[in-house]
Amino acid sequence: MRFLIRRLGFFVLTLWAAMTLNFFIPRMMPGSPEEALRERFSKSGSVVSPEQLRTVLAEFGFDPDKNIILQYTEYLKAMVTGHWGVSIGSSLGAPVTTLIGDALPWTVGLVGIATVLAFVLGTLIGTIAGWRRGGLMDGVVPPVFIITSALPYFWVALVFISLFAIGSNPILPNDFNYEQGLTPGFNPPFIGSVLKHGILPAGTILITAIGGWILTMRNNMVTTLAEDYVRMARAKGIPNRRIMFGYAGRNAFLPNLSGFAMSLGFVISGTILVEYVFNYPGLGYMFYNATVSTDYPLLQALFLLVTLAVLICVLLCDFAVFLLDPRARTKG
Amino acid sequence: MSGIKRIAVTAVAVGVLAAGCGGGDEPIGGASSNPSSSTSSGGSTGQFKKGGTVTIANVGGQTWPCQFNPFNPAVNQQALGFVYEPLTFVNVLKSGATTPMLATAFSWSPTKDSIVFTIRSGVKWSDGQPFSADDVVYTFNLMKQQPALDLYSLWTGAGLTSVTAAGDKVTLKFKAPAEPYFFNFANQVGIVPKHIWSTGDAAAKPATWPNTKPVGTGAFTVGSCTSNNISYVANGSYWQPGKPYLEKVQYPAYLDNNPANLDLASGKAQWGGQYIPNIDNFYKSKSPENNYWFPPTANVAIIPNLDPSHKVTSNLAVRQAIAYALDREQISKIGESGYQPAANQTGVVTPTFDKYFDKDALTAAGYDKPNPDKAKQLLESAGYSSSNPLKLSVITVTGYTDWDASLAVVKQQLAKVGIELSIQDLQQQSYNQKLFTGDYDLAYSSLSGGPTPYYELRQLLYSKNSAPIGTQASSNYSRYIKPEVDKLFDQYASADPDTQVKLIKQISGYMIKDVPIIPTTESVDWYQYNTKDLEGWPTQEDPYAQPAPYNIPDVGQVLTNLYSKSAQK
Repeated sequence: MRFLIRRLGFFVLTLWAAMTLNFFIPRMMPGSPEEALRERFSKSGSVVSPEQLRTVLAEFGFDPDKNIILQYTEYLKAMVTGHWGVSIGSSLGAPVTTLIGDALPWTVGLVGIATVLAFVLGTLIGTIAGWRRGGLMDGVVPPVFIITSALPYFWVALVFISLFAIGSNPILPNDFNYEQGLTPGFNPPFIGSVLKHGILPAGTILITAIGGWILTMRNNMVTTLAEDYVRMARAKGIPNRRIMFGYAGRNAFLPNLSGFAMSLGFVISGTILVEYVFNYPGLGYMFYNATVSTDYPLLQALFLLVTLAVLICVLLCDFAVFLLDPRARTKG
Repeated sequence: MSGIKRIAVTAVAVGVLAAGCGGGDEPIGGASSNPSSSTSSGGSTGQFKKGGTVTIANVGGQTWPCQFNPFNPAVNQQALGFVYEPLTFVNVLKSGATTPMLATAFSWSPTKDSIVFTIRSGVKWSDGQPFSADDVVYTFNLMKQQPALDLYSLWTGAGLTSVTAAGDKVTLKFKAPAEPYFFNFANQVGIVPKHIWSTGDAAAKPATWPNTKPVGTGAFTVGSCTSNNISYVANGSYWQPGKPYLEKVQYPAYLDNNPANLDLASGKAQWGGQYIPNIDNFYKSKSPENNYWFPPTANVAIIPNLDPSHKVTSNLAVRQAIAYALDREQISKIGESGYQPAANQTGVVTPTFDKYFDKDALTAAGYDKPNPDKAKQLLESAGYSSSNPLKLSVITVTGYTDWDASLAVVKQQLAKVGIELSIQDLQQQSYNQKLFTGDYDLAYSSLSGGPTPYYELRQLLYSKNSAPIGTQASSNYSRYIKPEVDKLFDQYASADPDTQVKLIKQISGYMIKDVPIIPTTESVDWYQYNTKDLEGWPTQEDPYAQPAPYNIPDVGQVLTNLYSKSAQK
């Protein structure tokens, strides 16, 4: 039990430290919301005086002259109570919660599913490859995927687009999350369109992410198979399948689990480049955009989400290890 | 990738190619009440059958917040022209020729410090309520009460003192002659309905009100909006009979240039405001129906820091040497692939503003062609030599690949006369900060213009647009301060058209004499259009409005002129 309490305490402390950094780091970036807005505004034609822009931003609650400590305490309070404010960047005036609410499902859906899939498939392939080391599968599959995982994913994305999505009647769409003009909801055309639009970006993530899982799982597997308890299990005549998954697999899997927890946490931050290339309106792109337009409220909220997601996943992983690994229990 | 966006960002707003098109120097009070009269392609009303859709590909770099408050600078590009309309449309491509919109006519007082608009009758808001002079008065007075709405500082900067209505006449009174602000108050301010903006949340917080279901007089209303796409539908009770011809406008939220450019090339989107590298190969060759036109708008220039604390660049001989050393044709050809034409030292964009262009003065000063020998002499007289070379650095923005290419050419040209130029690529934010506060020697930059060269030159050279080093200047980044030039700008407001031309030429004279900025190329409006199903586009032959979808309120002119060929059958 002490193990769990210690973990929880650590969670709270890390969260506070991260939130403090989230507040100060964006403010140390060069540039200011005023300048970013000025740059954007010149787009629609007229040069607007800096004083006028300050007046506009003040309406949306941006007050740079306020005492920084006061701003910080207000920020902490707002973050905890969920009053995340409105964007002061490119979506000036849009509530941060709405912006994130619109983008979150797409990123979690796309990147989340692709990450889980990559992990499950990678672990499975790694387990089998490690079990039959030296076999045909071990000789071909891991090297191939290790090469693909070394490819930069925006490049893979561009190759996919030029293979599948070029021309006036392409096989798969090259951008967006669903066809314009469809009504979002539980209707077959919409769901079909979402799936169709997800294939290329998800494929890109899968191909580039799976290699790492295969390699680590295979190597863990090889090490674990040399353990005495595996030999013992064999001697007892336990079926191969059970040894593979229940004895060797289960133990080889543990080191991978915390890596997986981390990568799940980072799902929230999206995969900026994939979203960029496929014009997929998720959180990764929003992150980039908020940085460019020095959008403090949006940045803070996004950072908070990423921090929370990583910390919660790590915490859950700790709990899972606690359940899976008897040694953690006795030590705790 | 994002660098390319800049071009769309800077290219904006400005006047073009209309050289010789009709003598629209003095805005003409509309005798005709039919706005399509100024366009040849639109023709008379009710000429085309309704139907069809246009899809716009213009990278906004954001998902849509689905807000349509025309006073919010982040979203007004999706509101003005589509839903909200101005009193009078000013065509910067035709030397400021006017098209009556919500006002059928206007007339200035002789001293040009007050103007009377005749408000159009029979116009309805998209919710069915009648539009009247009261709405106009309400819109302007709202901007007075809420300074945040007054984006063009009409009440504080332009000297607007009162806006009143009498019958169908609305009078705007100013402290001083205000003709140059006509472009802002008649053309850039969208009129909003009093019956909506005077109640509830809209009245309480007009600056931040999201206005998700906008009610306007424009040709389109918002049909549906998601963070992905705005779908506009034709306004059935639009006041121009028979218009709009199109039934729908789709405005997808493109986040990056690549997908937008791909969709333009494949014809999935038909109207673009995009910089497309190698456009002939990537876009034009894909279909005979893919067209583009890049009307030049303002200047791209090397901005020297004139503040005395910057000893080298505040030295006139050095600036002259740079101006003489540059071969602008070469910069245009190599750096900008010829998409942006060469600029000239007078600061007047040609051929758009040809009649303000003082070619003789340019030739007399020797700036009509590159003159490296003269540049070398000047540098010698300033005390530089091969043993004591002049070293300068210029700031530019990381990712603006065309600027990098242009500056590489500039660097070569300057090296020939003995100037060692180093190019500092900065991230956008750092670049802005340095430029605005004057923390640089040379900066590569571009601005937006207006219906005459006055607008751009005033931004660049008027002392009130400057600020001491360390504080943000609003647009006179070179910190050029010359009372004589200020006086010329001040005279412009009340001058007659011929005198205005003379004043601009005099100001150009100071551009040549003092070299406060060094123009290199002319920035353009990026504009692609597909004619497979749609016709009625603005073209070089018929520049009835600025053509890019990011030009507001011009976008409204284009939308009411487009028609679908398949719907005519």
